[in-house]
Amino acid sequence: MKTLNFSFSTKLTFDDYVHDHSFALRIIPPDTESQKILSCSLNISPGVTTKQTVDAFGNNVTAGYIQGDHRFLDFEIKGTAEVDSSKHSTFLMPCYRYQSEYTEPDDELKKFYVELKDKYMGDASEKAAYFSDILSDIIEYKKGTTTTATTAAEAFALRSGVCQDFSHILISLLRMDGIPARYIAGLAFCDGETHSWVEYWTGDHWEGIDPANNCHVNDDYLVISMGRDFRDCAIDRGVMFGRYTQQLQLVRSVLS
Amino acid sequence: MTQQNIEQFTKAVGNANEINELLRRYGVKFGIYKNGVFNEQFFPFDPIPRVIASEDFKSIEKGLVQRVNALNEFLFDIYHEKNIVRDGIIPENFIYISKGYLAQCEGITPPNRIYSHISGIDLVQAKDGEWYILEDNLRIPSGASYPLIARELTRIAAPEAFSENEIVDNRNYAQLLKETMEYTNCGGIRAILTPGRYNAAYFEHSYLAEHTGSVLVQNDELFVEDNILYHRTYSGGKTRIGVLYRRIADEYLDPLNFLPESLIGIPNLMEVYRSGNVGIINAPGNGVADDKGIYYFVPKMIKYYLGEDPILKNAPTYLPFYEEDMKYVMDNLEKLVIKDVAEAGGYGVVFGRELTKEKLEEFRRTIIAEPRRFIAQEVIDFLDLPILDNGETVMRKADLRAFVLSGETTRVWASGLTRFSRNPDSFVVNSSQGGGFKDTWVLK
Repeated sequence: MKTLNFSFSTKLTFDDYVHDHSFALRIIPPDTESQKILSCSLNISPGVTTKQTVDAFGNNVTAGYIQGDHRFLDFEIKGTAEVDSSKHSTFLMPCYRYQSEYTEPDDELKKFYVELKDKYMGDASEKAAYFSDILSDIIEYKKGTTTTATTAAEAFALRSGVCQDFSHILISLLRMDGIPARYIAGLAFCDGETHSWVEYWTGDHWEGIDPANNCHVNDDYLVISMGRDFRDCAIDRGVMFGRYTQQLQLVRSVLS
Repeated sequence: MTQQNIEQFTKAVGNANEINELLRRYGVKFGIYKNGVFNEQFFPFDPIPRVIASEDFKSIEKGLVQRVNALNEFLFDIYHEKNIVRDGIIPENFIYISKGYLAQCEGITPPNRIYSHISGIDLVQAKDGEWYILEDNLRIPSGASYPLIARELTRIAAPEAFSENEIVDNRNYAQLLKETMEYTNCGGIRAILTPGRYNAAYFEHSYLAEHTGSVLVQNDELFVEDNILYHRTYSGGKTRIGVLYRRIADEYLDPLNFLPESLIGIPNLMEVYRSGNVGIINAPGNGVADDKGIYYFVPKMIKYYLGEDPILKNAPTYLPFYEEDMKYVMDNLEKLVIKDVAEAGGYGVVFGRELTKEKLEEFRRTIIAEPRRFIAQEVIDFLDLPILDNGETVMRKADLRAFVLSGETTRVWASGLTRFSRNPDSFVVNSSQGGGFKDTWVLK
C-alpha cells in the first residue's frame, strides 16, 4: 500500500474566440477496490459551474457549459490517494469480452494472433505477460507516429506508437483470445503526461499490466478512468463554436 | 362493412388522383438517399382501405401489447442484471455483438422503466388469415402521420363513409402520443428533435409537433447546463425541456458520449438523462432489442418474462449461428428469404429463389463465413390486397405497421400504416423501396 500525491493539469488554448462550449471531463479518479481517493480538488478556468455524474464504466464525469466568448479552458486536479494493487476489482461487464471500435483487428492483426496463439499455453496472466513481451519486441515506442484516433490495427501496421497504442493492441489480442480486457487511463511514475495501461480478467478479478513498459502494475499507478478503449476514457471531450482553426493542448502530470 | 360499402367509398374518394394531389400540396413526402443524393419522393396513397374486423383487431391488439411489454422487460434486464443471458435463454454474444447495444446505457433506468414508448411492429397476414410478426422497430419508427393525414383528407372527400360505417376514429394518435410524452416528462416542456428538413421523415416531425403541442427543435436551439436540458428562446432566455422525442439515431444523439463527429446531437444530453432530468423517447440503446438476430428470441422472451404463450407468431426463422439451423438453411436456401441483420428499410433482403446458381453458391459461402450476420425465414405467402392501378383493381403484397404506445399502460393505436408493393412480383413493401400506402380501417 502506498499514499500518492497527484496533480494533473491541462491547458487548452484556441487561436480565436470560441463560445457555446460544452465539455465533459473524466479527470477525477474513482474510488475502486485498489485505490481510495483521500482528497481531490478540481479547478476550472474560466469559472463555470459543473455537475458530476458517474458513467456506465464507473468513471466520474464532470460536465460543464461555457456560453460566452473565451479563448482557453484550463483545468487542474490535485489530491491524495491510497493505492493498494494487491486488491482487485471483481465486477465484470460482459462488453469487455468483445472488440470495440479502437481494438477491432484487421486481417493482419488477426493473422498475427493466429500465429502467436499456438506458441504459448497458459492462463490469462501468463498469456497477457507473453503478449506484452512480444509487443515490446516488435513495436517501437515512438511519439508522433500515431494520434489519439489511431486504432490497434493501424498502430500494429506501423509497428510503432505510444502507450495508448500498446494498450489497444494488447486488448485486441486478449479479446481475440477470449480474455476480457479493458483500457485504463491514469497517472504513473514513468510518465510526465497521462499514461495508459490494460487490465485483463483472470477469471475472477481484474489484474493490471503496462504493455508500453512491459511490466506489471504496482502501487505507483493511479487509475483516472476506464472503459472499452480510449473512446470511453478521453480525459477531456468538448464541442465548441467559433472560427478557431487550432487548439493547443498542454498536459502536465505529477505523481509523488 | 360490406364489399359494396367499400366500392361506394372508393368511388366517392375518386381515382385517388385528387387525394394524391392534396397530399402533394400538404407536402406529404418521403425523403430517401440513393447513391449519396437526397430525393424527396411522393409517398403514393391508394384509396381502397384495408379493413380489419373488430374481433381480428382485438386479438392483434392483445398480442402486440404482450410483445411490447416483454421487449420492455428485456431492455431493462439487458442494461441491468442480464438474467436472460445468465439463464441461457439468449447467447451472450447475440447481445454484445449487436450494433444496437450501447454499453454507455448500462445501469441507466429511464423514467418509469419504459424503454420503447413508441413501437412500430410490422405484421403480415397470411392467406389462411393468421397474422405474423415480421419485424419490431423500437428505435424511431416512423410512418404514423401518413395514415393520419390520409384519413383527414378522405373524411373530407367521403364524409358519409365515416358516418355510415362503424369505423374506429383514428384521429387520437396525437393525443396518445402526447399522453405518452407527458408520462415520461421529467419536468419541463415537450420537444420533438428533428435533424432538419433534409431528413426522410421531416414532414412527420413537423406534423407531430404541431398536433401534440410540442416545440419542434433542432440541436442548435438546445444546450445542457447544470445537468438540465434547455431550449434557447428567441428572446435569449431559456426554457427547460422535460421530455425529448428525438427523431435522430442513438449514435448521433450526444457527440460527447457517442459519435464525436455528430453535428446534429446535443453535447452532454446523456448526463442529463442519466441524472433523471429528461425523458428521451425512445430510450437510447433500444436497437439491441429490434436487431434482426434478436427477433428470433422474442417468443422466448415472452415466455421468460411474462410466463405466457406468445399470442402472435413470428415468421418461421432460422439462425445459421445454430448448427442445425445452418444445415436447414444450406439445404433450403433457394426457398428462403435471407436478411442481413445490420440492414434496415428493405435493404439487405435476399430471396433465395431470385438468385442465379452462381450467386446462390457465393451467398452460401458468405453465410458460412459470417453465420451471425444473417437470419433466414420461410417466405410467408401473404394476403394480397386490392389496389387501384390506373382505374383497374389489381392485387399486391401489403404489410401493416402497427403503432404501440407505452405510457401508464401499453396501448395499440386502432389504425396503422398499411404499405403495399407497387411491383406485382415484389414482397418488399418499404417506403424507401418505392411502395405506397393506404388507410387502415379498424371496425368497431
